[in-house]
Amino acid sequence: MKFLIFADDAKSLAGLATKLRDNGEVSAVTLEGQPKQCSNYGIKSLVELKGKAFPDNVSHVLLSMDLNSYDLIVISSSPLGREVAGIVSAKLDSPAMTEVFDFTFSPGKLVTKRFFFGGKTIMEEESDSKIVTVTPGSFDSNNGENTDKIESVELPGSKISLMEIKEKEKSSTNIENANIIVSVGRGIGKKEAIESIMPLVDVTHGELAGSRPVCLDYKWLSEERQVGLSGKKVKPKVYIALGISGQIQHIAGMRGAKVVVAINKDRDAPIFQECDYGIVGDLFQIVPKLVEALKK
Amino acid sequence: MSLNIIVLVKQIIDIDQIRNDQKTGEPILQNIPLRIENLSKNAIEAAVQLKEKNGGKVTCIIFGTDKSNTAMKEAYAMGVDEGHIITGYSGNNPYLTAKVIAEKIRAIGDYNIVILGNQSADSYTGLLPGLLSSMLDVSLLGNAVNIEADGEAIKIKRVLDERDEVISAKMPCVISVTQEINQPRLPPVLQIMAAGRKPINMEPAKIQVKAPSRVLSNLAPKSDRKREIYEDVDKGVETVAKAIRGEIR
Ligand SMILES: Cc1cc2nc3c(=O)[nH]c(=O)nc-3n(C[C@H](O)[C@H](O)[C@H](O)COP(=O)(O)OP(=O)(O)OC[C@H]3O[C@@H](n4cnc5c(N)ncnc54)[C@H](O)[C@@H]3O)c2cc1C
Ligand SMILES: Nc1ncnc2c1ncn2[C@@H]1O[C@H](COP(=O)(O)O)[C@@H](O)[C@H]1O
Repeated sequence: MKFLIFADDAKSLAGLATKLRDNGEVSAVTLEGQPKQCSNYGIKSLVELKGKAFPDNVSHVLLSMDLNSYDLIVISSSPLGREVAGIVSAKLDSPAMTEVFDFTFSPGKLVTKRFFFGGKTIMEEESDSKIVTVTPGSFDSNNGENTDKIESVELPGSKISLMEIKEKEKSSTNIENANIIVSVGRGIGKKEAIESIMPLVDVTHGELAGSRPVCLDYKWLSEERQVGLSGKKVKPKVYIALGISGQIQHIAGMRGAKVVVAINKDRDAPIFQECDYGIVGDLFQIVPKLVEALKK
Repeated sequence: MSLNIIVLVKQIIDIDQIRNDQKTGEPILQNIPLRIENLSKNAIEAAVQLKEKNGGKVTCIIFGTDKSNTAMKEAYAMGVDEGHIITGYSGNNPYLTAKVIAEKIRAIGDYNIVILGNQSADSYTGLLPGLLSSMLDVSLLGNAVNIEADGEAIKIKRVLDERDEVISAKMPCVISVTQEINQPRLPPVLQIMAAGRKPINMEPAKIQVKAPSRVLSNLAPKSDRKREIYEDVDKGVETVAKAIRGEIR
């Protein structure tokens, strides 16, 4: 089989290439600056798009490639990726399977898995789709053969113009690779309360993460620390959920954890259905005790 | 410049009320009410705010069923001026949805902006913004957390992983919004009552597209968690500390 991947970032591209390369030949398109971090994952030929990427000019380049010669076009479901996928799907007159977190090939068919009903169910579907968008972080990467050919393509002009840009501070966090995650929810009450959680983060050598309200609405933590359906999918050895109710959109991001610990004052919080060990009570009283016990 | 705004609204069953059968893992869907999908509400709010600021009109399109009246009435109460329900929706098929909606938008003809959610809360597809911008051949300004009309152009702010951007394009254009853009209003009772009397246009979809996939299963994810819950804090702490140490080592 022949595959074409579009992913804006090297990490998603490496994961997708690792997933696909044993099933056939992988070509890929990515954005400027990415190729050096993904040139040894078994991608045969790689196109680097130079310049400012918008949905219209990126899909223009993709559509100028001979897309019909590929058995499957795999697009990483970033904001840009989803937009590009929609445009490519419309232009090729070919429906796409979307936001899948796993897929396999059965003869002539694509079998995909995705969350449905807001994360309450997993829907498994069989299709003849030639386009699929994949949730970032769904596949681990490991090194493969080197890329033979890296080609640069200048992006054409776009009808969209960039007026302002504010780069965010690059933090060194990568909760997707963390072994231990201490995750906080609205139950911590205020930003300052994170201080009192830090001893637990330190004693476990963990990474701090949070639910969506904590990261997006209140900005107590930065967005790249959000776990969940619309955040990061994490697979730590231990996931400690503090003051997180356990709504399904949150669970969707931590289902891959080996051991889940939950501390919540509400005995009926749904998180207790999705944990291995739960303690019912006030997290501000329990966390110091847990830190003491772990120091012993 | 006053704006002709089209807002796209999806009606879904209330996903928050879905429970799964403990034995079979099947979602129990009987007797669960319908409601407006989360992001569609943000889209309505954004559309109405733009109208309030710039003047103009908000037209709502629902590709739904003959039960979509309630959703349209709620949209009216929030400030939508004109509503079109296209019946024939029978499940998640974004490709068909986009074709049906694009056709209706072409029939309406005179518009400056189409506003919709970036990813719907039930199916989380996220494909409609791209599909529609392509089918309508207009620019896509995606993932807006703020929208501003600026003469012939529209400016949006978007928040991405690595950076915040302000981007702009000439109208007409398609704009997708995120949940963070606004807090959808709760309309006052008087407005809800007035909305009930407003006429709603309803017509069947003319286009049919065969479902692109066959559903093999749709079940609650399996959870093999131990679920050892301690109300005795000291005992809980002891057990949890042991479990954590076992994994760290
Ligand atoms: C399309 C969509 C995508 C979404 N994506 C995500 C996502 O990626 N990630 C995500 O997390 N959410 C996501 N959500 C939001 C999700 O539905 C929930 O709203 C969110 O997860 C709730 O966050 P929370 O658990 O921190 O807050 P809450 O639900 O408010 O829970 C707070 C918990 O803290 C407990 N608590 C309070 N005080 C204490 C105390 N002193 N000690 C112990 N416990 C205490 C309470 O009992 C409660 O259970 C999404 C929603 C939608 C619609
Ligand atoms: N059946 C529908 N009728 C009208 N608008 C829809 C429909 N389905 C989706 N939308 C709009 O498209 C957005 C994104 O949906 P999706 O691309 O399916 O994730 C939603 O938030 C709605 O604004």
